[in-house]
Amino acid sequence: MISLDCGDCFDIWRGQARQLLSHGIAPCAVTWAGAGGDLFASAGPMPLGQGPRQPRVPAQLPGLLCQAARYRGEQRWSLLYEVLWRVAQGDRSAMLAGSDLGSELHRRVKQVRRETHHIHAFLRFVPAAEGAAEDAAVGAAGPQFVAWHEPAHDVLGDACEHFIGRMGQARWLIATPRDGAYYDGQTLQYQRHCPAAWQHLAQGGDDPDGGLWLAYYRNLFNPARLNPKALQGHMPGRFWKHLPEGPLIPALVSDAQLGKRRDGQAREVARLKGKRVGKG
Amino acid sequence: MELIDKLSILADAAKYDASCASSGAPQRSSKGRAGLGASNGMGICHSYTPDGRCVSLLKVLLTNFCLYDCQYCVNRRSSDVPRARFSPEEVVRLTLDFYRRNCVSGLFLSSGIIRSPDYTMEQLVRVAQLLRETHQFRGYIHLKTIPDADPLLVEQAGRYADRLSVNIELPSEASLRQLAPEKSAASIRAAMGTIQRGELSRQGQPRAPAFVPAGQSTQMIIGADTTDDSTILRNAEALYRGYQLRRVYYSAFSPIPASPASVPRAAPPLLREHRLYQADFLLRGYGYRAAELLAGPGDLALDIDPKLAWALANREGFPLDLNHAEALQIARVPGIGLRSAQRLVALRRQRRIRYDDLVRLRCVLAKARPFIITSDYHPRQADAPSQWLRRQWLEAPRQLGLFP
Repeated sequence: MISLDCGDCFDIWRGQARQLLSHGIAPCAVTWAGAGGDLFASAGPMPLGQGPRQPRVPAQLPGLLCQAARYRGEQRWSLLYEVLWRVAQGDRSAMLAGSDLGSELHRRVKQVRRETHHIHAFLRFVPAAEGAAEDAAVGAAGPQFVAWHEPAHDVLGDACEHFIGRMGQARWLIATPRDGAYYDGQTLQYQRHCPAAWQHLAQGGDDPDGGLWLAYYRNLFNPARLNPKALQGHMPGRFWKHLPEGPLIPALVSDAQLGKRRDGQAREVARLKGKRVGKG
Repeated sequence: MELIDKLSILADAAKYDASCASSGAPQRSSKGRAGLGASNGMGICHSYTPDGRCVSLLKVLLTNFCLYDCQYCVNRRSSDVPRARFSPEEVVRLTLDFYRRNCVSGLFLSSGIIRSPDYTMEQLVRVAQLLRETHQFRGYIHLKTIPDADPLLVEQAGRYADRLSVNIELPSEASLRQLAPEKSAASIRAAMGTIQRGELSRQGQPRAPAFVPAGQSTQMIIGADTTDDSTILRNAEALYRGYQLRRVYYSAFSPIPASPASVPRAAPPLLREHRLYQADFLLRGYGYRAAELLAGPGDLALDIDPKLAWALANREGFPLDLNHAEALQIARVPGIGLRSAQRLVALRRQRRIRYDDLVRLRCVLAKARPFIITSDYHPRQADAPSQWLRRQWLEAPRQLGLFP
């Protein structure tokens, strides 16, 4: 059994997989262990140099594997190698969603896509505190906006381009428990291991203008149409604690359940004085 | 009045409009440029409210002062609600602030009618112009079009906005006369026509300045009058065909504070709204016609979805052999969507389709089972009457509780 470590990096894995494939080593003879190593694997040597075989695979496959590689979970890398092996052997159905193996591959791609969508949607920037530049040690200017996000899969790397497009020349910092990114308006600095100073900066700090968004959120919702199940389905609970509006949700739901369902008006607005309009 | 109070009132006043889509805009990016915002055609839902609806845009009214007296509207002039008015600069500030925080992907601005339709429309256009020209904002903008406004203003709005919409409000002209006396079906359709002409005039001219690239949409209120689903769907179909609308939104009428006697006080018919959206999706995506879904007058079934209802009423085409049928035919099987249909066709080129393939594609087999044939499966219920099948999907009878 060959035991490999790719440091959860797709490029390293691809190099390893290519070499294994060229030597014709079957998936059952190789395992990818995390940093701790596989307890039961008796490590065998990886054959040196490129082997004699040069199998060809369909052009779409590398992209598909790269997508699925962002997925964090059991058998993260072994499954990819198994798909690659089967397709290289001529069984193209292994990469199609209808087959046994392909179904799992596509499930992972879908999960990753969903999580990418989540980071686009639920990440929140807040204006950075004064003196952020020194804390973060990212050059002279320092970020204007910072965000903390906890994705379930490795999607930050791919999501950076999205935020570069949105934010123009603004300087921003995104920190997660694993990786981090800083954009200074021109160049992106991506760290696979997020510096502690970045994490600290992204998590702390107060936000004096945050109240506007909360006021908007409270009033946008129609108590007469209460449907907390749909909310849960679209916006999983694990994101709530990092969303500014998250803490408002339980109170809004219970208010609506306790009789606010009569009409659509928000409570704060109902308290204000009304006014009829003259006929112009 | 403080900005935050205005925001509360004008967000509360805007929530009865269902649309909050930010999709369909062209590729725009602020990478390395002055200004702010991007769009790529994909909508993003940045949050969800406890009513399960997506928050994609800052959806507010410019003002909820209104000269009209539409009975179903919370902002009608006889309604006793708090009133407020934003200045265009305030809306711009809120949009940019929320956008930078990644709370929204753009702005959906509507307004009560003040002074005149033209004046109101000018104000809306002014906001979009400030965003696009002064602040070089490249995010999504959806403007409500005021019927009876000057076509030149509509044309101008279309150059700034990704989407324009004119609300058709009620599904029949008679209801419109009764509940919204100041509005007329003719002027609503004329405004739709203006937008459509703007779109058509750019066709085949890739260098012409963009005009509502995300198209136009409209909204119909459901349950404020007595119109049936059949009329509603036929209307929607005519709108899709006649004005190339991208979307018709259905908004279940929800009771408003200080409700007039002319509209119901009942809870919003949410399930009916849901069935209409499902049927609408079948019209737009699957090539169904309204007459197929509802042959005569009447409403959609509430207990089963419209695709299943159609299949039960058209058993002569089933069971369908998935190894031979066309993709569009497969997509008409209840429980199998367009995407799964395409995947089945792709898989079919490699080998024959088996029952387990459907399980792996996560098709809803509980629904699909009586309607399909695969190489290893033939439905036992192929000849069972539709009534019997329908009963199978419905919940088993339940004993009622002693205390309600």
